[in-house]
Amino acid sequence: MSKLTPVNKLPGVFLVVGFLILASLLWFTPTHANEPAQQTEEYCLSCHSNPDLATTLPSGETLSLYISPEQLKDSVHSPNGIECEACHTNITTYPHPSIEYQNVRELSRSYYAACQKCHPDNYSKTLDSMHAQVAEAGNLDAPICTDCHGSHYVHPPDQSRTLIPSTCGNCHTEEFSVYQSSVHGNALEQDSNPDVPVCTTCHGVHNIQDPRTQQFRVDEPDLCASCHANQEMMSKYGLSADVYSLYSLSWHGVDVSVYDARWPTIQHNSAICTDCHGIHDILKPDDPNSSVNPNNLLVTCQKCHPGVGPNWTGAWTGHYEVSLERTPFLYYVDWFYSIFTPMILWICGIYVALQLIRLIVDRARRSLR
Amino acid sequence: MSQPKPTPSSSPNRVSLLRTFPRFSVSQRWEHVILLACIAILLLTGLPQKYSSSVWSQTIISTPERLATIQLIHHISALVLTGLVLYHLGKACYLIARRKLPGDMLLTLQDIKDAWNMLLYLIYIKKQKPAFGKYNFEQKVTYWFLFFSIGIMIISGYVLWFPETITRILPGGIIPAAIMAHSTEAIATTIFIVIWHFYHVHIERLNLSIFSGWLNDEDMRTHHSLEYNQLVRKSRTNKDSGDIKS
Repeated sequence: MSKLTPVNKLPGVFLVVGFLILASLLWFTPTHANEPAQQTEEYCLSCHSNPDLATTLPSGETLSLYISPEQLKDSVHSPNGIECEACHTNITTYPHPSIEYQNVRELSRSYYAACQKCHPDNYSKTLDSMHAQVAEAGNLDAPICTDCHGSHYVHPPDQSRTLIPSTCGNCHTEEFSVYQSSVHGNALEQDSNPDVPVCTTCHGVHNIQDPRTQQFRVDEPDLCASCHANQEMMSKYGLSADVYSLYSLSWHGVDVSVYDARWPTIQHNSAICTDCHGIHDILKPDDPNSSVNPNNLLVTCQKCHPGVGPNWTGAWTGHYEVSLERTPFLYYVDWFYSIFTPMILWICGIYVALQLIRLIVDRARRSLR
Repeated sequence: MSQPKPTPSSSPNRVSLLRTFPRFSVSQRWEHVILLACIAILLLTGLPQKYSSSVWSQTIISTPERLATIQLIHHISALVLTGLVLYHLGKACYLIARRKLPGDMLLTLQDIKDAWNMLLYLIYIKKQKPAFGKYNFEQKVTYWFLFFSIGIMIISGYVLWFPETITRILPGGIIPAAIMAHSTEAIATTIFIVIWHFYHVHIERLNLSIFSGWLNDEDMRTHHSLEYNQLVRKSRTNKDSGDIKS
């Protein structure tokens, strides 16, 4: 009897275990239904950690299939449980389904759509960008998410900030090299200065717009002012924070503000910051190569005012308070009118008021008589 | 002041002779009309440019094309005004050369005395207004204020119109100074015309002699008694004088 007991008990054990499994499925499946099972990384890496793993695409390009486990651990996604399958949704089995992409670019352009699942806001922002427009026009080299952020080894975008210009510089090589030698780029590279603008500070991040439009042009002084009108930041570098407010009062600044407020899309060429200071190549004004160095200023003015003489630069008051030393004519005219205009107002007002009183009183007396 | 006015209505049975005294020549009257039109147009086209951030200015200057039109009108009336000033100065030079310039408009010591006495009259210290000649000190102030004001406006205006040429000869600091002078002087002039001139020719009495060219007997006796006495004396000694029309 005792020998038969386990045999007799076996169906019961199966029943209990089967019930428990069924129950656990009923219990746990609904709560975890939305999260894909993220147990794939270790399994995938068992092959893909081989540095020699590669395949050849129909275009003849060699596609490396190697994933560095160390770098993957460093990225933002893997430690948070977002593993291979989150993006490689079409690969669920081994052997994998055959690759249909003709070349590497086609592969990247189809895979980056996976970013949208978790980052819908930034993804849709990029659809408004200059880059998306270029892609629509047929340029498949236009950047997609992974071109800037990386695909497998994604790091937080502000780590480090110094890398941002070089990322943009992968395509915009000329702008990058010019920027590197500018006062801003130099401070970023030499001192890792956190205040200087990087590409994205001025151009935006995901919805980067065409900087050659008139709208961008008339908005540009405000863009510079977001740092250069900041008293606290400018005092760190011994710069004046009044350059923008004084510019706004100048001939150019008034003109630009009128166009900005009323006709932002109508072509107009009144000078904005970058017309004189440069764009990516901004240098300190005391740098001998700076376009606003006193020695180069006349040539800079002549870009818009061809043929003006050397006295012309003296007419520029856009960044300076009225002072006797710098602008004596303006100083005296300012001084004269600060007295003259109120004086005229008061003299005329008082004299006419006295006359009016006398006139009314005399007429009243006459009519009463 | 307390005498009843000898108007036709007060004595309906008497036929009164309305004597008129010539005051401004046809040329002077036209000069004033052109000056008035020029200043009005220059202000109407200039002020919207100065106050470009205000709503009323944005209504007037609604498109860049309108701004260009307004500037064109401003420039054309500036040219007309310049022509007028040159004519006025040329005529004055011609008259000086022929020793025929009437000195009525020149400021004299008497004007300062008149102004002082007028002030005393206005604050009830003196009982009588000072007696005036052809142009009283108020009218002389009007003329000379506008004379220099228009001078400043014209000079600074041309500096702004041709800054690139001007700075070939003069220092660059002239340009911002001219911008400020042009803009501020315009306001001072507007204040002066509206308060001072409009009061004297519209409110104190409606004086349209600059348009009609003549003043009547009453106004001459009240406001230009010295000139009146002089003219009447002259007409008594010379009955054939053409100065007095009937």
